[in-house]
Amino acid sequence: MNAPTIALAARATTVRLTDLRKRYRVGDEWAEALKGVSLTAAAGEMVALTGPSGSGKSTLLNLAGLIDTQDAGTREIAGVAVDGLDDAALTRLRREQVGFIFQGFNLVPVMNVADNVEYPLLLLGRPPAERRQKVAEMLERTGLAGLGGRLPDGLSGGQRQRVAIARALVKSPSLVIADEPTANLDSHTAQQIVDLLRELSHERGAAVVVATHDERMSAHCDRVLRLADGELVTGELQ
Amino acid sequence: MKWILFAWKNVMRNKRRSLTAMLITAMGTAAVLIGGGFALFTYESLEEMTARDSGHVVLAAARGFDNDEDVPLQHGLSGAAALAAQYAAQPGVRAVAPRIQFSGLVSNGDKSTVFVGSGVDPAVDFRLRGPQLDFVAGEAPGPSDAVPEVVVGDELAKLMKAKLGASLTLLATTTEGNLNAVDVIVRGIVKTGVPDIDRRLVMTDIRAVQRLLLTDKVGSLAIYLKDTAQTAALAAQVKAAHPELAVRTWRDLAVFYQAVRALYNRIFGILGLIMVVIVAFAMSNTLGMAVVERTREIGTLRAIGTQPGEVVRNFVLEGVAIGTAGAAIGMLAAGLTTLGLIFAGLEMPPPPGRSTGYPLLLSFSAPLYLGATLVVVALAAAAAWFVSRRAAHKPITEALAHV
Repeated sequence: MNAPTIALAARATTVRLTDLRKRYRVGDEWAEALKGVSLTAAAGEMVALTGPSGSGKSTLLNLAGLIDTQDAGTREIAGVAVDGLDDAALTRLRREQVGFIFQGFNLVPVMNVADNVEYPLLLLGRPPAERRQKVAEMLERTGLAGLGGRLPDGLSGGQRQRVAIARALVKSPSLVIADEPTANLDSHTAQQIVDLLRELSHERGAAVVVATHDERMSAHCDRVLRLADGELVTGELQ
Repeated sequence: MKWILFAWKNVMRNKRRSLTAMLITAMGTAAVLIGGGFALFTYESLEEMTARDSGHVVLAAARGFDNDEDVPLQHGLSGAAALAAQYAAQPGVRAVAPRIQFSGLVSNGDKSTVFVGSGVDPAVDFRLRGPQLDFVAGEAPGPSDAVPEVVVGDELAKLMKAKLGASLTLLATTTEGNLNAVDVIVRGIVKTGVPDIDRRLVMTDIRAVQRLLLTDKVGSLAIYLKDTAQTAALAAQVKAAHPELAVRTWRDLAVFYQAVRALYNRIFGILGLIMVVIVAFAMSNTLGMAVVERTREIGTLRAIGTQPGEVVRNFVLEGVAIGTAGAAIGMLAAGLTTLGLIFAGLEMPPPPGRSTGYPLLLSFSAPLYLGATLVVVALAAAAAWFVSRRAAHKPITEALAHV
């Protein structure tokens, strides 16, 4: 399978997930995690996925982020029909077009803040000077200037999540996948993180799909989709 | 460079575990280098000993090496003086020594015993054999114009109750099959370190032996070179120039050397193999634990666009870092041991069949050090590849859910 031509992909419609179905084997039985869910997100748009545990938020997020595959339905990310792409091509697409923000931050502990933020650019093979400049700019924008040399262990939860946001957005991706980004933070810090994510994604034209239980988070999103038992119950229609 | 730096940071993530793997690797490397250094020193010593004993290239008449003579020197070499002069004048040749191996009975008037004799050029042979002949008493025999002088093994001297200046009689079969005898004077008593040889050894001027055996032939001509590496070239040259002669190199004649080399190669080969297995296990264990502990991190790196091959490469770099550090420590330890033994003056006990020990020294060999390092580093890289490839291909969602 050839690599998708990312550069030619239009940024306007970033994510188009259509009629996604996914089921898992639980013991001897099959559990349906998604029962035909569709979702679109445009550049700069922030879409919240809410719903109780087991409603299918994480599954939908994983499919949107190209780290899992559906049983049925189609996906289009940054103008590229991704279904049928092999693992290497999907990895390239994630490398170029998708940023991830995890609930547990998932920073690499042996890398300092600057190295963590630089890592996606290193994968993209950007020249050192460009990497340095973009990292410095992103650290400045996320309020981490002066902390580039610190290891993640020496940071507060809010600072770590800022590093994760910086790492996700430093390459200016088309899509950012955020899984409960404020779950481990106090309310004041959570508010700052929501504001930062919103500001940066608008500024960089990235679509953000965020799974959250946090109403402050969903309140700042352009659309809120509520999932229950693998189906959309409010928001975008199936 | 960044990747190497990340690899080193990951190695240092669990210092104690990485240090243990490095030390095991270092011990394995040092053991191989010390064992290999000892084997090389033994080979070099035996090479020198054998070459000093036999000469680098030995010429004889066509069947001179067949050992099937009915009478002494039946297949002896005629015209040896001319041949000796020809090769003695050749550049790179240190000396040419004519020799006759003979045997018979030696008697002190009261009792007799079997001897194994060598007729040699005293001016050449005793100089070339150097430390191989340890003079317990006396010195090398002089020319045999008057009463021939002999050097005998110390065990034979004891058996014959012969002191310096004592008179002995040698009885041997002539080239015509008759018995002949010659009276000799003991000029020196030597020890070769091999009791079986020292019980039988008699060395004397080759001209005295020719008179005893009633011949002007010699058994062989030993050519000594300044550089052992030229042996094969000279042997080829002699074969081409004298196709009527039988030509052997010191290696062809070195039965003991070949046997020791084959034995040591096997012993140290097995030792090396054991070390390889130990190092492989140590590396697999260390890196395997690191892979399991970092499964979630691998999932994160994969999610943000790291290819499985790049994940494996990072672990391989970590393996190479541990292997290189371990090999460096091992080389340092082996190098210091090699130096330390020079000053320690330790002796190995006598090997089986010998009465004297030999110095415990190690040879330094750059190819051995380089080879051992490459093997250790390659092993570490292979272990890292082996333990990380499955985790690198694990489904990302599973890896991220790893606790």
